Amino acid sequence: MNDSLRRTLLSPFFWLAFLAIAALPFVLQSYYLHIVILALIYVALASAWNIVGGIAGQISLAHSLFVGMGAMVASALFLKLGINLWLAALIAAALSALMGAIIAFLDWRFRLGHLSFALVTLAFAEMGEIVVVGWDFLGGASGLFLPRDTGQFLQFQFGGGEGVLWAMLVLAAACILVNVAILGSPLGYYLRSIRDNEQAAQAIGVRLLRNKMLAMMISAVLTSLVGTVYVRYLTFADPYLLVSPVITIEIVLFATVGGLGRAGGPALGALLLVPLGEVLRGKLGGVLPGLHYFIYGLIVILVIRLSPAGLLPLLERAIARLRRKQPSPQIIANPTARP
Amino acid sequence: MLEVRNLTAGYGGVPAIEGVSLRLDKGEIVGLLGANNAGKTTLINCLSGIVPAMSGAILFEGEDVTKLAPKHRVERGIIQVPEGRLVFPEMSVRENLLLAGFNRRARPHRKAELERVLALLPRLAERMGQMAGTLSGGEQQMLAIGRGLMAGARLLMLDEPSLGLAPRFVQYIFEIVDKLNAEGLTILLVEQNLALTLRHTRRCYVLERGKLVVEGPADVVKADPRTRSAYLGL
Amino acid sequence: MEELLQALTQGVLIGSTYGLLALGMGLTYGVSGIVNFSHGDFVSLGMFMCLALYSAFALDPYLSILITLPALTLIGAITYKLLIQPIANSHLLMIIQLTLGLTLVLQNGLLMIFGGQPARTPSVVESKLIIVGDVVMRLPHLIACVVSFVLAGLLFVMLRSTDTGRSIRAVHQNARAAALMGIDVARVQILTFAIGIGLLAVAAALLIPGTPIHPSQGLRYTVITLLVVVLGGMTNFAGIMASGLVIGIAEAMGTIYLPNVLGLLLPYLIFVAIMLLRPQRR
Repeated sequence: MNDSLRRTLLSPFFWLAFLAIAALPFVLQSYYLHIVILALIYVALASAWNIVGGIAGQISLAHSLFVGMGAMVASALFLKLGINLWLAALIAAALSALMGAIIAFLDWRFRLGHLSFALVTLAFAEMGEIVVVGWDFLGGASGLFLPRDTGQFLQFQFGGGEGVLWAMLVLAAACILVNVAILGSPLGYYLRSIRDNEQAAQAIGVRLLRNKMLAMMISAVLTSLVGTVYVRYLTFADPYLLVSPVITIEIVLFATVGGLGRAGGPALGALLLVPLGEVLRGKLGGVLPGLHYFIYGLIVILVIRLSPAGLLPLLERAIARLRRKQPSPQIIANPTARP
Repeated sequence: MLEVRNLTAGYGGVPAIEGVSLRLDKGEIVGLLGANNAGKTTLINCLSGIVPAMSGAILFEGEDVTKLAPKHRVERGIIQVPEGRLVFPEMSVRENLLLAGFNRRARPHRKAELERVLALLPRLAERMGQMAGTLSGGEQQMLAIGRGLMAGARLLMLDEPSLGLAPRFVQYIFEIVDKLNAEGLTILLVEQNLALTLRHTRRCYVLERGKLVVEGPADVVKADPRTRSAYLGL
Repeated sequence: MEELLQALTQGVLIGSTYGLLALGMGLTYGVSGIVNFSHGDFVSLGMFMCLALYSAFALDPYLSILITLPALTLIGAITYKLLIQPIANSHLLMIIQLTLGLTLVLQNGLLMIFGGQPARTPSVVESKLIIVGDVVMRLPHLIACVVSFVLAGLLFVMLRSTDTGRSIRAVHQNARAAALMGIDVARVQILTFAIGIGLLAVAAALLIPGTPIHPSQGLRYTVITLLVVVLGGMTNFAGIMASGLVIGIAEAMGTIYLPNVLGLLLPYLIFVAIMLLRPQRR
């Protein structure tokens, strides 16, 4: 266990936040619970993407494939072949890891630049959607329906609202902690050096293939697992939602707005934007469908123009200013601070 | 014609030239000497407006041009013939020349100027339809100078025109430079080649690590021990 | 044999418009080094403008070009100047994120205005067929093909022999030298982007007759455009037009000769193969 991970795990702030969210089902109505669950799903997805897109600077637009693997393939294995959904989730995660490894290998073998990597992964994402929509085993265009969630834990059921929230909370926290752990480890150092200058990284002995592959595989596994929980929560495996490249665009935008490459950045972005989007959709979705996406788009454009490093640095600066005004002996540990 | 006062400029907040002051009178040919990385190219890029000035002023014919965009300096006749020629490789010689005469002030006499340039550089006339990228180094240098003239140069700044050229081409290029100067064109010659520059100019400035260390008539500069040390980096 | 001829014809007719879509993106990449991931949403914008003009004034899409072309050109210029230019020199990731943000804004702006029902904009020529031997061509496709090639030709001549065209090529070949020759590089970049977006207004009108449109279609057009541009060698004018045809033919052949899914995949498979196997310079 490295230092930054230990510091986060010992941080009261982290556990306070964790417990506060875990307690939400006792105070919130189910509509707000739904928003919290969605926010956690995107916290997890954006944090998982951050390993590849933020820390390593590889603009992967293929992450919809991993969500789709966790959602569609796991559902199909469960429904069509009768495989226990826990096992199906693990198989899907393993397949995602394999796919991630292949993408990373292609990137390395054919020395794709940033642009080519983005384009190839986007093409893979489009192909993935076409395959899922055209393949009956995976539900085709009409998708798949999972049985009702009656809370049988051994069947990957969490009993609806609060159970899914807790499961998702654990997964989201895990995704953030993996980010923290990577950033504090040699792997994080290697990945950041690859992001800053691939050739220079190689020149000082960073192994490109190994590190890119590792980052992609870790990210793919986490994304796939979130995909399975997501589909379990929705009970409807909708290919146009879960394998659509749009889901990757959302993830990338949340991560950007929060702050790329930092452990807490993508989580911050998702925590701010998902509830905003859901509330907008709830209140105005009937009159103005798409308004929340419209606002997301505006926000990301504004953030890139005004604070390209995302909102996290702004938040940290604001906290630092507050602290300077009220000097207190007790320093609140910040889980996102980097040495 | 050109007066530079206390100019500081550089990249990313780090000055590459500091407190440089120099002047050129109309019709003069002046050398700017210095070793690699002395800041010669930064200086003329700053005069062209490609590199912004951090402080100091550039006056051209009495007008302060320090803040002007490159395009407007070209329109006033401040023309750089860049190091390495930088011709447009996938355009014909004719297109290179025509494009250079595209700015507002040069365009009205583009045809006449083209004839004058081709008379001065007959070699180019033979190559008009050829892609510039296929020319020899010497021919590309001619084209680069021709482009500068087409753009309506009143102050021509030549950056390392002898670089990488065969001796007979160097000879030829410098003959053309002399001829242009004899016709009254003001020229700032930026060179590493000390002997060559001293032979073709009356007055020189020597830059060392971003600062002017010697200035004066060619023979004085030649005799000054600091010139030698600027070159050897001592 | 008949089928093959039909597929080839269909591919060429559609592919020429793909080429037109891609020319603007290729030019912009050459001059500014940026790739606009909201390219296809500007196609949508053009199409929905046609729809609006049809609904309001019963204007035929081909006539709408008179309005949509200047409008989109202006929108393109403003977009580049205000949004893209300030970050044009930062990491590519920034450009991708910004233009993805723009995708959301455009796509959902259209959704809010026009709703999510697939909409059609009829044209007088919509259902006319041209039959040559055994090959059947829909008139709108034929018009699209002819107009695309004519426009590409005009653009080519413009680039070859006007001062504006030469300055665009100059910035592409060496931006620094262009600046030293008195060319306003920033202005050329805005102009090029604006032309590229303006061309989409024409492409939109050419594609719209008989095609149901939906705000979410933009990404598909972006991807097709990227395919064509990359296959055509990013900045090679003739290459881009030719690769438009290749993608169009691949699509037509794929839908006729291959089982459903594989047919749809064919263009992407070609794309990935090209991306991986083309010579890399890095």
